[in-house]
Amino acid sequence: MPANVYLPQLARIISVKDEVGGLRPIRTFRTEFLDGGFEHRCGQCAMISVFGQGESMISISSSPLVKDYLQFSILKTGRVTTALHDLEPGCIIGLRGPYGNGFPVEEWKGKNILFAGGGIGLAPIWSVLQTALLRRSEFGELTLIYGARTSPDIVFKEELVELRTQIPVHLSIDVAEPDWKEFVGFVAANVADKKPKPDNTMAITCGPPIMIKTVIKALKDLQFGDEQIYTTVENKMKCGIGKCGRCNIGRHYVCKDGPVYSWAELKNLPQEY
Amino acid sequence: MVKLEDLKEEARRLLKEGKVKYIIAYERNPLDGRAVPAFLRKPEDADRIAWDPTCVHNLVRFLVDEKRRKAKEKNPDTRPVGVVVKGCDSRALVILLQEKFIERKDVHILGLSCEKTGVADERKLAKRLKGKKAVRVEFGPEDNFTVTTQDGAVTVPAAEVLAGRCLECIANFPVVSDLLLGEKTKRTVANAFASVEPLESLPPEEKWKFWQEQFRKCIRCYACRSVCPMCYCDECVADTINFAVTADTPAEEKAQKIKWVEKSPLDSENIFYHLVRAIHLAGRCIDCGECERACPVNIPLRQLNKKMEKEAKVLFGYEVGFDPDKPALISCFRDEDPQDFIR
Amino acid sequence: MDKILPKKDFPLWLKNLSAYALYAPRLVDEAWSYEFVTDPARVSLDYPLTVVPAKKIIFPQRESYFEFSQDDANGYRLAETLPEENPVVIFGVRPCEGRALTLTDKVFGGEFEDLYYWKRRRAVTLVGLACGTPPSPNCFCLSVDGSPHSREGLDILLTDLGDKYYVEAFTSKGEDLLAKGGAVFAVPLPEDKKAADKIQADSENKLARRLENIKDVPLKLKGMFDSSFWDEESLSCIRCGICTYLCPTCHCFDINDEVESATPLRGRRVRTWDTCQFPDFTMHSSGHNPRPEKSSRLRQRINHKFQYFQEVWQNWQCTGCGRCITLCPVGIDIVKVVEKVRDHAS
Repeated sequence: MPANVYLPQLARIISVKDEVGGLRPIRTFRTEFLDGGFEHRCGQCAMISVFGQGESMISISSSPLVKDYLQFSILKTGRVTTALHDLEPGCIIGLRGPYGNGFPVEEWKGKNILFAGGGIGLAPIWSVLQTALLRRSEFGELTLIYGARTSPDIVFKEELVELRTQIPVHLSIDVAEPDWKEFVGFVAANVADKKPKPDNTMAITCGPPIMIKTVIKALKDLQFGDEQIYTTVENKMKCGIGKCGRCNIGRHYVCKDGPVYSWAELKNLPQEY
Repeated sequence: MVKLEDLKEEARRLLKEGKVKYIIAYERNPLDGRAVPAFLRKPEDADRIAWDPTCVHNLVRFLVDEKRRKAKEKNPDTRPVGVVVKGCDSRALVILLQEKFIERKDVHILGLSCEKTGVADERKLAKRLKGKKAVRVEFGPEDNFTVTTQDGAVTVPAAEVLAGRCLECIANFPVVSDLLLGEKTKRTVANAFASVEPLESLPPEEKWKFWQEQFRKCIRCYACRSVCPMCYCDECVADTINFAVTADTPAEEKAQKIKWVEKSPLDSENIFYHLVRAIHLAGRCIDCGECERACPVNIPLRQLNKKMEKEAKVLFGYEVGFDPDKPALISCFRDEDPQDFIR
Repeated sequence: MDKILPKKDFPLWLKNLSAYALYAPRLVDEAWSYEFVTDPARVSLDYPLTVVPAKKIIFPQRESYFEFSQDDANGYRLAETLPEENPVVIFGVRPCEGRALTLTDKVFGGEFEDLYYWKRRRAVTLVGLACGTPPSPNCFCLSVDGSPHSREGLDILLTDLGDKYYVEAFTSKGEDLLAKGGAVFAVPLPEDKKAADKIQADSENKLARRLENIKDVPLKLKGMFDSSFWDEESLSCIRCGICTYLCPTCHCFDINDEVESATPLRGRRVRTWDTCQFPDFTMHSSGHNPRPEKSSRLRQRINHKFQYFQEVWQNWQCTGCGRCITLCPVGIDIVKVVEKVRDHAS
């Protein structure tokens, strides 16, 4: 931990990739530290600085096993993320972190993992998925169920094509489109349709709050236990270290004590997110 | 004299007959004897209503909350809300009507005349009592207040402890109401702008020094803005966020919101915040004095607003908050308006 | 280390402390405020309670974290702006404020130590003033595990004996400060000690406000999260920042970049006080707000102080100074709210 917890380290953007266009664009950034840097765990986040604009807490979507870069997939939504979307490879940003608890991946060795994501919610899942793939023999069956509003809203399109050659991937879009051959409907409906088995399986679900709620319900209907379901919470954050006071749900600061929660934990916290 | 029982009776009737959704009034905090806002729903709640010189709050402020709440409800109760107003408060209501922020049918106005007195300034009262704690303040005979402390009741001439706003009040009874209690006594105010004259007479550099020192104290708690019925904007230059933002607001629009005022309590930012507020209240502030009362560090905010009120009066002959059908100062132009300040 | 300080010699002590920046209560436009001491002769501790607590000196409303500047096409230079560790003394700190600092110490300490806070905190010596009579009609320190003569967080405690102070120093910082006074301090007589003890003991009976039997309040609050109680209690709230900005234990803040020059980019990242009572505190960029109503924001303030902080730190996050009660423009009274929670049927 650096002596000054608020001082970012400088990093360079090494690549920028368009994931989704339109009114709610998503871009994936890869960054490398100018010097120093930090090691992260799956599901942890970093505070990204665009100097002059401010900071934004973003989950790290690359696996900790990848040492060459940190990857962030970012939805353009406010002041800092808009500024980030204007940056090109070579631009300098600030990074501090890593923050949060992360997924207890080591406890999941030998288990099947079901990933259920929606929209930009694939980003926090992605680091676990990539880690499990890199350590393939240590885990059981891996399955991805992922959905977006429309087919152009799907992130990691090329990676998903590649992923299909390795694990079952079930995609969905909310409303039918002429050339769409896969599931039409919400992610929760796709989960119910694919009927994943709860035996020896952990489920990770990330996405918009309403999707998380419905997916959890679908998983519960399929007899997943509360401690078998994991999700991530997002709230407005400023400090990232449990001091500035705004991201709490009950006694928990999401930045420090979260953002990863099992449903067994989360259901006992105030639903204030 | 306002008969409190008459007010309670009317409130009871309105609630009993379901004529109003609820009534915003005053009740007494038994611990310190001071009035606090009360929200009455049941006929028996009317028993709690208080009316005394500690009824300082401008309850019209809560109509802003009501409008916001109602806008979020799927099937809102469309009955009017009852509100107790003094003369100054009623003029705030006139502004909200004039600006079409609220509609006349949405409010049932229970007007109280301050007659020849008004409300007490807590700080002046504390000084007058020299450390003794008032447990009750009441309108007394003539133009006096009866102040009860642990040592018994004393009569204090109202003029000695009246709030500054009351000393310069030009509407001691409500200008709009469904019920008016108390007399339409005309109070003579020799000079409604007397309080701004000492500052006006200072040379510019001393005025500047005065305000710099005052604004330096500001801790940006925004109590002045929060307590003001006129500060109802969803988007304020002092906020980091526009509250009208939805999931469909384009990112660029949010990103481009100019940071006119930083949160830092620096001279430049504090002064900018207060001047923006003063300018936005020109022709709208009715001098209920709530901003100054709420300020925890005693910035004399009435000085600013009163000065704007005076400018409107002197330059345009405009008196704020008397006629909801008249155009607002800023939204009307007349050929005879002075133009010599345009250079 | 116990001493006696004649009041007339108080300025002499201050004059010997030229190595320190001194702060003491001063009446500014009829509001008491901890102000920088320019003339020791004019300092008097005969005062009730400041409006803004002493936290403003240790956790200032604005703190610059670092300066950023663009030094070539893509490069940035970051320069930390840590506060200097010049020694500071604050005089007349009330015991509730000393205790409050022990609570903010917890928040700014731990795994992620906040250097900005600690540089100031370690450099400050707190000269407390026991409350012989309650400085505010809304004091209730005894009910939240404090006392009018608590030493927690303080380095020195003064007890007013009329024409002199009974001086107790109980940290090395406090003893250093006494050592600098040299001959101005006298050795207390046994009757001085007796007098101080009596004033301190009596002071406990003088508080007008009590908040009793709150042991079960954390649990009660937990169960009342979704209660309509909060809608009713918050009706008169105007969502200003008085209750929190003036609270000695409230520590929430915002972080923003302040730009002085756009090209080349030059500016600084600053922390400023922020409050859970402002609606933009928790509002997401999407417009979603987990605490959209003032009811949820009042609940957050009470829950933080009387449930969450207790769960995490086994302490109330309230030291009973009563500022939020006295200065609330609409009379919202934390004691009454918590009593209602305690007595709530659920």
